[in-house]
Amino acid sequence: MKETAPRDLFPGALEMMILESLRRQPAHGYALVQHIQQRSRNLLQVEEGSLYPALQRLLKGKLVKADWGVSSNNRRVRTYQITASGLRHLEQQISSFERMFEGIALVLTPSKSSAT
Amino acid sequence: MLFRRRKRFDDLTEEIRLHIEERAEQLMREGMRPTEAREAAHRAFGNPALLEESSREVWQWPALESVVADVRLALRQMRRSPGFALTALFTLALGIAANVIVFGVLQALVLRPVELPQADRVMTLGRTDQPYPFFSYPVVRDIRDDSKVFSAVAPYLISNFGVEANGVTRAVWGCEMGGQYFEVAGIKPFLGRLLQRADDDHPGASQAAVLAWPAWKSDFGADPNIVGKTIRINKHPYTIVGVTPEGFYGTEKFIQPSLFVPIANEESLEGTNFLESRNDPEVYSVVRLKEDVTVAQAQAELNTIAARIHRQHPEDAEKESFQLVRPGLMGDFLGSPARAFLAGVMGLAGIVLLAACANLGSLFAARTADRAREIAIRMAIGSSRSRIVRQVLVEALVIAILAGACACFLAWIAITGLANWRPPTEYPMSFHILPQPSLILMTLAISILAGVVFGAMPLRQIFKTDPNEAMKSGNAPALMLGRRRRWALRDLLLAAQIALCCVTVTAAIVSLRGLSKALSMDMGFNPKHAVLTRFELNEAGYAGESAEQFQRRVLEKVSQLPGVVAAAYASSTPLSLNAPTLDVFSQQANNLKSPNRAFAAYEYGVSPGYFAAAETTLLAGRDVSFHDTGKSPLVAVVNREFARRLFHSDAAVGRYFKNESGQPVQVVGLVADGKYLTLTEDPEPAAFVPILQNPTTGTSLIVRQRQDSSIAATSELAGAVRKAIRDLDSAVPVRESTGWSSQLGLAFFASQVATVALGLFGAFGLLLSVTGTFGLASYTVGKRLRELSIRVALGAQAEQIIAAALGRMLIVLASGAVVGMLLGVATSRVLSAIVYHASAQDPLVLGAVVLTMVLTGSLSVAGPVRRALRIDPAVLLREQ
Repeated sequence: MKETAPRDLFPGALEMMILESLRRQPAHGYALVQHIQQRSRNLLQVEEGSLYPALQRLLKGKLVKADWGVSSNNRRVRTYQITASGLRHLEQQISSFERMFEGIALVLTPSKSSAT
Repeated sequence: MLFRRRKRFDDLTEEIRLHIEERAEQLMREGMRPTEAREAAHRAFGNPALLEESSREVWQWPALESVVADVRLALRQMRRSPGFALTALFTLALGIAANVIVFGVLQALVLRPVELPQADRVMTLGRTDQPYPFFSYPVVRDIRDDSKVFSAVAPYLISNFGVEANGVTRAVWGCEMGGQYFEVAGIKPFLGRLLQRADDDHPGASQAAVLAWPAWKSDFGADPNIVGKTIRINKHPYTIVGVTPEGFYGTEKFIQPSLFVPIANEESLEGTNFLESRNDPEVYSVVRLKEDVTVAQAQAELNTIAARIHRQHPEDAEKESFQLVRPGLMGDFLGSPARAFLAGVMGLAGIVLLAACANLGSLFAARTADRAREIAIRMAIGSSRSRIVRQVLVEALVIAILAGACACFLAWIAITGLANWRPPTEYPMSFHILPQPSLILMTLAISILAGVVFGAMPLRQIFKTDPNEAMKSGNAPALMLGRRRRWALRDLLLAAQIALCCVTVTAAIVSLRGLSKALSMDMGFNPKHAVLTRFELNEAGYAGESAEQFQRRVLEKVSQLPGVVAAAYASSTPLSLNAPTLDVFSQQANNLKSPNRAFAAYEYGVSPGYFAAAETTLLAGRDVSFHDTGKSPLVAVVNREFARRLFHSDAAVGRYFKNESGQPVQVVGLVADGKYLTLTEDPEPAAFVPILQNPTTGTSLIVRQRQDSSIAATSELAGAVRKAIRDLDSAVPVRESTGWSSQLGLAFFASQVATVALGLFGAFGLLLSVTGTFGLASYTVGKRLRELSIRVALGAQAEQIIAAALGRMLIVLASGAVVGMLLGVATSRVLSAIVYHASAQDPLVLGAVVLTMVLTGSLSVAGPVRRALRIDPAVLLREQ
């Protein structure tokens, strides 16, 4: 394996990215890996070893559903699709993530912390 | 659910395969060669099996499925060391089975009520002044008529009848019962009707009989038209009016009558009458309490009635007092000894199981010590302690539950066997102890408990395991070179166990030896080469003069049979259950009340020739003769113990004693002592009186053959005797006609049972000490493997290695064995009450015990010793 991103950024980050990708359009596993890699401009490289367990967790939580189908380049693939409860979950996650990110940013911003 | 999961996992596998394929194609498009591309794709993907595993874990019921995995692992471990697994299974299965069997018997005999509708309302009357629950008939009748707390009260007794049906006369055990008996039982007839109050109203009120279901089934061929048929009971015609339902077996747990007749007809059936006698306790009684009456209220009323009876009949010698007891075990006569015995056995079985658990625990601890490294590695790579503990416990439970299943099977066989078993008596006894389904639950509970108990033993080790230490030093966390190990609890436990085992082995061998002695002991008569035939002439309508004549005719006829050297008859024979006694008074005695008697002697009415037929040695004087009749002076032949006690010398012939009615009896002969009631009794006085002075219809006929006759000849003779009696009168039901030896079964029964039981306990004790010793020895060797290898490397000799590894063990073994043998010698004194001549001072016995223990000890340490001797220091030190 080459330079790898941390196994998981923080609990739930990978799931969030998968859900977000699927919200844009349904995709199969390989496409998801490619998609996340491209969107993060190669900063994030999703490991299959994390992707598939994450997908199974999402399936179990009924946040996504999977169907066997045929892809655009005529391959047999198992396509994942976000569900309604997946959408709700994603929105919650994003907003709580944004709040958390804001908090982290506030703490980390040097000028403000030294000003006080 | 599982099916859907299978599909889901197949989906995943397929998906991963496609994923890798797609990646490979992508790489090929980017210019890689196909094989390289496939390899690269696989490499990038990592370990698909691991990935699948972790993806699957998402779906698993976490606890349960990893427990299933633990169970699989446990089974694999067991397959890997079958010796350990089998030993553990076997020990535990026997331990559990012992408990289940004892509990099953306890449940059937003591805990469960007699199987009757509303059984909690049914009680029997016991006596507070004596254990045997016999009452005189008028007393029970008074209770029946005076009490307001019982809905039904029934006297009853068990008696033998000659029943003639379809031209054959059989001796049958029946129940003479009061008219309310079936109201107490509360059962509905299977066929026809049951006996009612009117049937028992007065003597001769009805000639009706009810058959018990088993007798109807076997003796009457399950004839559906049986009701209305006539049979002859003791020659009197009776009409069968009904059959009891299948599950009904009377109100006693041990005795199953085949026939029920009204007790009012007692005199015509038995030829004696006690129905009006207040001094003749002859009947049992059962009662049914009214719905709203408590036991305490009923008891209070019984006390009132008892007081009134005593006021009304102050002249009665016996003051009968009543006590309500649970039915089924002859009041407290059998009840309290049965409870005490079973509680004792249950305790013993519990100890045995505990010992088995302790042993398995140490075996387990030994294995855990061997696996210290494995456990350390598992902990080091992140397995939690609880996970490891769980796995060890699961292993223990798997063994325990498998053992429980074996135990269930064993117990089922044993209990069914016991239920089908008939004790060696002519009484209709058997045990209603069919295995109950609840026993399976019981077994499961015991197994789980046992598994947890012994599985918990190695836990301390696990909690103490420090992965770093264990990894560094491998199997021997603490080097004990030169440092003496403290005496641990398990050493003491083992010593105690060896001692216990030694006790059981000693007891077993002592009783075995006692039994073999008893089989060749002097009983005062010789049961070999003799046929004993018993019949009751009253059952064929004989009485007084006619009975006497019939007995004489039988005697003449059998004396002429080929091969017969002597023949005689008697009222009963020694070592049969029937042992009437005679109060003996000195000639000077004037007050002839029981307390003033010199002693009570066993009394046998015998015909002339009895002593020759029984081969009882006549020491002095003469045999009785047919000239000693009711009209001539009373005479008796007595044994030496009788003479010694009354006359303080053997010179008894010609002297006199007084019998219960104050008549002087002259002693005309002196015979050798014998055994009369039990094989273990001390010498007891006995008197043999001429049968013509003491006529009886109950007849025991002894026919002696030549010394050299075979067992086959004896049974042939038994057939001939039977035929001779049948030829004289086919209506006489012969109860038994077999070799005398075989009828002594009951006399030998106690010592046989004791021998078998002690033998089993001895064997089990041995098994336990083998596993215990083996467990501790292999634990010791395993734990000190590293130290021992260093010793070997430094040039220690074989003896030194064994001394170092197992010296402590051998001390424990030897001291345990010595203590055990001393205890064994002490306990065998207790045994002498049951087993004839049980003595541990016999060199043969001591030798056998020592040999057994040495063999056991060497057998159980052989394995660990071999392991210690086979140590190759190079291998071991390299490994670690």
